Amino acid sequence: MTDEQRARSTGEDELQDLFLRYAAACPEVEPGSNFMPQLWEKIEQRGSLWFFFARLGRPLAAGAAALCLLLALLNLGSRHASNVLSYPDALVAAHSAEKTYFAEGIRSSLPGEDRAAEDAH
Amino acid sequence: MLVDLELVEKARGGDAAAFNQVVLAYRRRVLGTVSRLIGRPEDVEDVAQEVFVRLYHSFDQLRSAEVFEPWLYRLTMNASYDYLRRIKRRGELRMADLSDQQVLAADSQAGSKVDQEASQKTKLRDFVDALFRTVSEQDRILLTLKEVEGLSLKELEHVYSVGENVLKVRLFRARQRVLKAYEVAAKAGKL
Repeated sequence: MTDEQRARSTGEDELQDLFLRYAAACPEVEPGSNFMPQLWEKIEQRGSLWFFFARLGRPLAAGAAALCLLLALLNLGSRHASNVLSYPDALVAAHSAEKTYFAEGIRSSLPGEDRAAEDAH
Repeated sequence: MLVDLELVEKARGGDAAAFNQVVLAYRRRVLGTVSRLIGRPEDVEDVAQEVFVRLYHSFDQLRSAEVFEPWLYRLTMNASYDYLRRIKRRGELRMADLSDQQVLAADSQAGSKVDQEASQKTKLRDFVDALFRTVSEQDRILLTLKEVEGLSLKELEHVYSVGENVLKVRLFRARQRVLKAYEVAAKAGKL
């Protein structure tokens, strides 16, 4: 055992002894005469606060659930309505001016390919 | 255990009289632990009451009456942590400045010829408190529970909800850090 290890071991023993003496030196803490009444007061206060939030929370949760259900139903309804478009409406939607514009844009950006295709034809 | 398991079961079931008895049996122990953990005599009673308020409102979460004591230690530890965090947020000092306070206390006690033994105890407490202030709150609380409160590793496992090996490592590291501070204090002749 090196000197350093020996010193450390001695230090650990001393520390252990110090903790023991400290535990013995700590005085007993006596509760005040109002300890129990104050405690029950705090318990009741906290309890009523908890009760208040619980009471407030229940209708709020129910309202949120109802709102979710309503929104889900509305969403379903609107999706159903969009599915029953007439054929001409659907055709117009599919070949709208915007889509045509983009498609033309793609075509015009590849002139070499078009020419090659025409030559092959 | 300071009370019967039956009484704990009754209190767990919502019996106010049984709860009252449990508090009466454990309040001194909780006060002592809190005083060692927070080191502020003026707030000890308040934090101890907080422990019992939490106990009352979460008694039904206790798995079995056998683990009541470690569970109470856990509540005590958490309430103490919360208190320490709160005062840290407020920017207050956890304890009074050691060296000045220590010297003043020692001087005043010597001057007023207070019992020599009481004076030595105060010095010892101040010294260990100062050592604990050099490490983190976690280290301090762990070491206090193990070395001062005398909790076994098994009980600490319940308090911290971690395995024995993890606890041993934490304890070793905490002890090494305090030992380092102790050696520095010894070299500086503060012992």
